[in-house]
Amino acid sequence: MKKLTAVFLSAFLMTMPVKAEQAGIDFTKKLADDIIVNVLSANISDEEKLKVFHDRFKEDLDIQTIGKRVTGTYWKKATPKEQEEFLAAFLDFTTKSWADKFNLYTGQKINFTGIQAAKSGQFFVSSAVEGNPPAEVLWRIKKSGDSYKITDIVIEGVSMVTSYRNEYVAFLYKNGGKLSSLTEELKRKSASFSFTKK
Amino acid sequence: MKKNGLIFLTCASLFVMGCAIKPTDPIALQAYEEANDPLEPFNRAMFETNMLLDTAILKPVAKGYRAITPVFVRQGVSNFFDNLKQPGYFVNSLLQGEGQTAFDISRRFLANTLLGLGGLFDVASDMNIPVHTNDFGETLAVWGWEKSEPYIVWPLLGPSNPRDTIGAGFNMALSTAELSVIDEPMVRYGIWALDTVQTREKSIEFIESLEKGTTDLYATVRSMYRQNREKKINKATGTLENQGVSAYDFDFDDEE
Repeated sequence: MKKLTAVFLSAFLMTMPVKAEQAGIDFTKKLADDIIVNVLSANISDEEKLKVFHDRFKEDLDIQTIGKRVTGTYWKKATPKEQEEFLAAFLDFTTKSWADKFNLYTGQKINFTGIQAAKSGQFFVSSAVEGNPPAEVLWRIKKSGDSYKITDIVIEGVSMVTSYRNEYVAFLYKNGGKLSSLTEELKRKSASFSFTKK
Repeated sequence: MKKNGLIFLTCASLFVMGCAIKPTDPIALQAYEEANDPLEPFNRAMFETNMLLDTAILKPVAKGYRAITPVFVRQGVSNFFDNLKQPGYFVNSLLQGEGQTAFDISRRFLANTLLGLGGLFDVASDMNIPVHTNDFGETLAVWGWEKSEPYIVWPLLGPSNPRDTIGAGFNMALSTAELSVIDEPMVRYGIWALDTVQTREKSIEFIESLEKGTTDLYATVRSMYRQNREKKINKATGTLENQGVSAYDFDFDDEE
């Protein structure tokens, strides 16, 4: 009986990571499908696309983890209020600058190819965007309670988080290291985007 | 000889003047080390110059090219230049010992040259022949020169490093040799100019959105160039296959 229990228990434990991995792929696939259907291919104005995309990014992006990483050692120097203001400006600016690239999408399909473990207890979900050669897109995800959050997107080897970090650390280095100066710059740049209304 | 020495001295002093000063503040020092760009003042000056030239000449010409040509003509021109680059990719694949890649490239070149009217039509893609790109910088990496610093921005040529600068020189020599079958120098320059313009035309929107979406275009381009180059080098040397995603796998907790 003991032997049988052990067999069942090990079989159960072996399926756990598989289930977690499949759930991670399902989450990423659903997110990509939703963005393609409800944003990229949707018959709505650019302004409405931005709103849907912003809400989706806010819900599914781990902005706290990303914000901390992209500001490097300057994060710790800032007050909690400055950090909070930065995160709001960063989310707003990121969604607008991504939305500005929506017209580069020309209907390519995304095929999800697998998942592998990453540092900090996270995962990379691999996908390929149709084309010859296909473009590789990796979605870095983190399990957060029962759901998942995106912590990075790597397109053809270029990590969104690493790129923002290299840019923001360079900006802060040149501008006296005050996080508030970066927040102001992001707000100023955000205002330069314009999206057509219906 | 005297003249060459003078040019060397001028370049050397420009480089020295263009070297970044190491900060003493620990946080600034960390930012400086992360940038890993000891020639930053020189590089930024070159980058600004290139951007000025792009804004004043290349971008308007690329926009003009788009305005006067229909999409199918631009597609044909793009296919033609892609095809023209295949012999260079083929040579580098052989130098890297990549037999299967060299075979794919030769099939692609033959299909597009013979069936695609000299490369104007990409029939090879319809035949599911895979696309491969290659350069001598990657070949040097396969031969052992995997890491190459410092980051350098060259006038007109843009972002590079010592290994890829030599690589670009070799690639240029290869394409010059290829074009040497054309006797008339003006035609050769015309082909080179058209390739530059049609390449720039394809990235009009991407570069515009990049400019709008950054607080420091120089730092963004430096970061993207390095990351994308690292991926290509790792793929060429087999590091990517051996180590999976490790090139982008940083630890989010390492600043705790």
